[in-house]
Parts: sequence; structure tokens; C-alpha cells
Amino acid sequence: MDKRKVKILMVKAGLEGHWAGLIVVSNALRDAGFEVIYGGNMTPAEIAATALQEDVDVVGISSLTANYMLTVPAVIKGIKERGKGDVLVILGGIIYEDDFDALKKIGVAGIFIPGTPMEEIINFVRDKTSALVK
Amino acid sequence: MQAEQCFTASGIPVKNIYTPEDTEDLDYDKDLGMAGEPPFTRGPYATMYRGQVWTIRRLSGFNTPEDSNKLYREQYELGQTGFSVAPDITTAVGVDADNPIVEYEIGHSGLPLNTIEDVEVAFDGLPIDRVTTYLAERGPITTMYFAMAEKRGIDLKQIRGTTSGCMLSWACLNIPLQPTPKGYLRYGVDFIEWCSEIAPKWNPINHDSYNPRDLGLNAYEELGLLFAAAIDYVEEEKRRGRVPLDRFVRRFSFNTAAHNDFFEEIAKLRAARRIWYKIVTDRYGIQDANCAKFRVHVQSSGSTHTAQEPYNNLVRIAYQTLAAVLGGAQSIHANGYDEAVCLPTDQSMLLAIRTEQIAALETNVTNTIDPLGGSYYIESLTNELEEKTWEYIKMIEDMGGMAQAMEDGWYHKLLRDKPIERQKKVDSGEIPIVGVNKFRSEKEPYKVPIFKPDPATSREIQAEKLRKFRAKRDKAKHAEAMKRLVDACNSDENAYPYTFEAVKAGATFGEVMKAQLDAYGEWPYPVGL
Repeated sequence: MDKRKVKILMVKAGLEGHWAGLIVVSNALRDAGFEVIYGGNMTPAEIAATALQEDVDVVGISSLTANYMLTVPAVIKGIKERGKGDVLVILGGIIYEDDFDALKKIGVAGIFIPGTPMEEIINFVRDKTSALVK
Repeated sequence: MQAEQCFTASGIPVKNIYTPEDTEDLDYDKDLGMAGEPPFTRGPYATMYRGQVWTIRRLSGFNTPEDSNKLYREQYELGQTGFSVAPDITTAVGVDADNPIVEYEIGHSGLPLNTIEDVEVAFDGLPIDRVTTYLAERGPITTMYFAMAEKRGIDLKQIRGTTSGCMLSWACLNIPLQPTPKGYLRYGVDFIEWCSEIAPKWNPINHDSYNPRDLGLNAYEELGLLFAAAIDYVEEEKRRGRVPLDRFVRRFSFNTAAHNDFFEEIAKLRAARRIWYKIVTDRYGIQDANCAKFRVHVQSSGSTHTAQEPYNNLVRIAYQTLAAVLGGAQSIHANGYDEAVCLPTDQSMLLAIRTEQIAALETNVTNTIDPLGGSYYIESLTNELEEKTWEYIKMIEDMGGMAQAMEDGWYHKLLRDKPIERQKKVDSGEIPIVGVNKFRSEKEPYKVPIFKPDPATSREIQAEKLRKFRAKRDKAKHAEAMKRLVDACNSDENAYPYTFEAVKAGATFGEVMKAQLDAYGEWPYPVGL
């Protein structure tokens, strides 16, 4: 049987307009063989609902504005409330280093700042999801 | 070792050395001319920086109108010579701060401006009669700004400043609740017509290619988009025939990026001046040469700044600033070196202003006009960029013009493909970035000071202000003004006289935008993978 593809939802939480990073990373993940759903801008509630509906393995959030400490916890809470605690949440963009610990504590598995090589993000997701596709 | 072939950042082949042969077709009077004289290749003004150095203008704003006002006052104290207001994303979307869809957005990436009172607070104590203001919005906030100026006793016939309003930059945001490009074009043209009458010294549009450039387009693609969009506005007015074209284009202003390829960026600004002159004069037959002056604000390119070794960016910004100066910009925004890390700190803002002041006062580059004019290489590059730009303009015009190309999805496909293309070139090392894909340090990264805004309460503050504002306005007067605005939006009449009346009668920004959107129809999300 063919290995199933890892499914990733890629979004910006909220209305922010800097989407270039999101599209670049989404494209790189798709090229690397993942199934990518490009969600664009969504509210945290929409992200959680879509993650459940599409039964994704990973949610990737991009933020280049300072509201991620409001939106990211809301996304994670929404996903858990819907009974889907096993989703891997990763975050990329302009993220303050002194927020890293707090974000990891609430369940963000990986944080990637601008300039991170695509390979590093791909390898991270592959590593963390390898058990799913064995 | 010598590389076999060299190219500019936009792919134009570069010779080892340039000679008189490369410029032998150049006719000085026809192709260059003196500064302040057609075709303005050497500069739009006869005295350039000897008469007036460029305006130091940094786009900024955060949290609330109150906090942003403090920031603008500080910038003015430091010697910034123009104000530049960045509304937050809610303002870009076109809704008020208490709209549920913007729950997490207020005061992030700009400041909320929803009412005439917000505008008054943001500009409290600032000398807007002497210092020009740039408003990064599409029109309604400018009507509030004008209403504030009137209250202060400033003659609108004398007021100077700029409203961005360009479809190119706006469409890059890819946000919800937006009109179609043709709807956007319609009220843009309404706004230009209205300004040309009530505030004739105001720049009613700032054709702006900064965002598409920063997404990965090259220098001549940037200019091609810029002029194709400007042509769309003129064509729309030509179709309407309400305002004489010379009056319509007289206060057009432009905004480009300054990217990394130093000489190409200088040549780009020189080519742009010649192209705009030809469009205005040859294509539209406008006789007044003042209408054909390409006046440009230039901002250093945020996409070239790195989160790795952030101090490297201050060197990049200084080079880009110098390119803007040697290219003859009228107004410059040097970025904060920490742009890829956080909102600017006090120190990075200071450094950015100082970067421009050092170029202006210490390097002597302002002593003579267009100092690179006549360089075999620069002139040759100026010619090549001009030629490639005309081709790009023609390609867009063949698609039916910029607004049509947007509605057909061409523009957003381009905006989607370019960042991906660029990232692949970064991954492969074809685009070198020092400290990122070249000489990447294995050591623990050094830290820079950071600034963290605290807009956590901005939404509550703004929502409360809106509640009070709505409660105290004259309900009958407001309702009547809104009805007249809605009627105008749904007719062929210019909507801006009614927008002006509505905001003076207490209409909020979100209410005005809703009237426009309801009339022009919503455009679905354009960008997808």
C-alpha cells in the first residue's frame, strides 16, 4: 500500500496582509511531497474548524504582525476543544525570541523566523510526522 | 577570477566596461536635458537638492491614535521633515475597530483611524500647515484630515500632502471585503477629480510599486506595473471627461522601492522620469510640462532585510538610501534595520533618520544634480530599462489594462509566482544574501534590542471611543448625509463631496467604506496556491 500523505493546513491567523512567506513555505512543503491546503487568511475559529473538517496532521501559521500571542493560543484552544489534540502546530514569521518559551508551552512545536532555509522546515515536519506515515 | 557573464538584478547583461560607443545614440537635449526641463531625466526640478533636500518621511503608526501621536512628535523633534501615517489592517480592510472580524487586529501593524476625532488625536500639535503628510489609505481618511485642517483654519487650496490610493499596492494585501479592481479604480478617479478641485496642491494618488517589487518583481517589471496602473487612471478620466487631463494628472505622485542593485536602481529612477514625461506629453498631448514631472518617494526594500545578523541591514539600507539620492528621489524612507525582527525601536528609528541626514549633510552627494548622468554605464542602463519598461507596459495594455489584468487574475498569479521563484534562487544561492545563504554563521546569534508594542487594550479603547462618538452625533444629520452618500455611490456622480459631508456629519470610516463596497460589489480572495 502507498504511504499516505501528511496533510498540512497553511494559514495566516487574522487579516494581516504579508502573505509572501506563507505562500513560499506552502509551495516548498507541497514540492516536498506533503498535501498542502492553502487557507490564506482565516480567523482562529475558522482555522480550528478547518483543521478538524480536513483532518489535517499539521497546522502552519504565519505571522508578521505582533498579534500572534492572541491568535495562536486561540487556534490551539479551538483545535483542542474540538477534540483534535494531536495536530502539530508550527509557526513562522516575525516572532519575538522572548515569546518562544510561552509559545512552546502552549503547544507550538516549531518556530521559524525569516531566513530559515526551506530544508530546515521540511525536515522538521517530516521528522515530527514520520510516525504517521510508517 | 572573473565571472563569465554578469547581469543586473533584473537580468540585463552587463559588460566588463562601457565606452562612448554605448551612448553614441544619446541626444542630450532630447533624451536628457537639464534638470527641471523636459524630459526630466536628470531631475524634476532645476535646483534639486540645492533648492530643497528630499523629505525624510518614515511610514509609521501603532497601537492607538494617542500612542502614534507621541511617535510622530518624537520623529518631528528628531528632524523628520514629513509625516507618514500607516493605518492598521482594519483600516486597510475598511471596517471600524468594533467590527467582530477584526477582533485580533487593532493597533497591530499600524494605527486605527475610524473617526474624525481619531484623526484629530493622531495629528494633535503637529504643524500640518508647514509639514506635509502622507496617508496610506484610499480617500475617506483624507476627507477627515481635510475636515480637521478646515477646523484649524487651514486653507484647503494650500494644503499639501499625499493620499496613497493606488490599486497596485492595495491589491497586494489580499484581504477580504474589497471591491473589484474596477470599483477601486472608480472611487480612486472620483477622489482625484474631487481633490483637483478642492485641494489642488494635494497629491491625490501615489502610484505605488513598492509592494509588488518587494514580492519579487524586478526593476523594469516594477516600472511597467507602475505606469500601466497610472495609465488606467488617466484612461478612466479620459472616458469620463469631467476634468481636463492636465489638471487630473498634475499632482500624480509615485512611490518605488530601492532594491539592492545599486546602479540599476539609480537608472530606474532616471528612466522612470523620461517615461512619465513621454506618457503625459506624447500619449496624452498635455502641454504643461509641470504635469509631466515624475515626483517620487522611495523606500528601502524591506524584503532585502534579514533576521540573521540584523545590523547587516543598516549597511543595506544606507546603500539603498544612497541609490535613491543619486537617482533623484523627492522623499525617502530609510527602513529600520530591525524590520525583520520587530517594529522599530527608538534607536533603530533614530538611526534610520540619521542615515538620511548623514547622506544629506556629510557626504556632499547633494552638491551637484544627477552626478551619474553621462556615465556610459548609467546612461546605457537607463536606456535599456526604459525599453524593457515600454514592453512591459504594452503587455499589460494588451491584456486590457491594469485593472482588467487584475480582474482576470494575471496580477495575483504574478504576485504568487514571484516570491516562490525568488525563494528558489535564494535556496540555490543564485541570489546571495550575506549572513543567510553566504557566510552563514554557526555561532550563537547576537541579540539586538527589540520593541514590543502592547496593543492588547487598543481594541477596547477604540471600541469605547466609537460608542461615545456614535452616541453623541446628530442622528438625523448623520442619517441624511449617509443616505446622500449611498445614493451617490449608486449613481455615476462623484462620491467624494458626499463622503466629505458624511464624515463631517459624524460618519465613521467603516460606514463610508460599507457604502462604497455595497455599491461596487465585493471581490473574492484572489491569491491561492
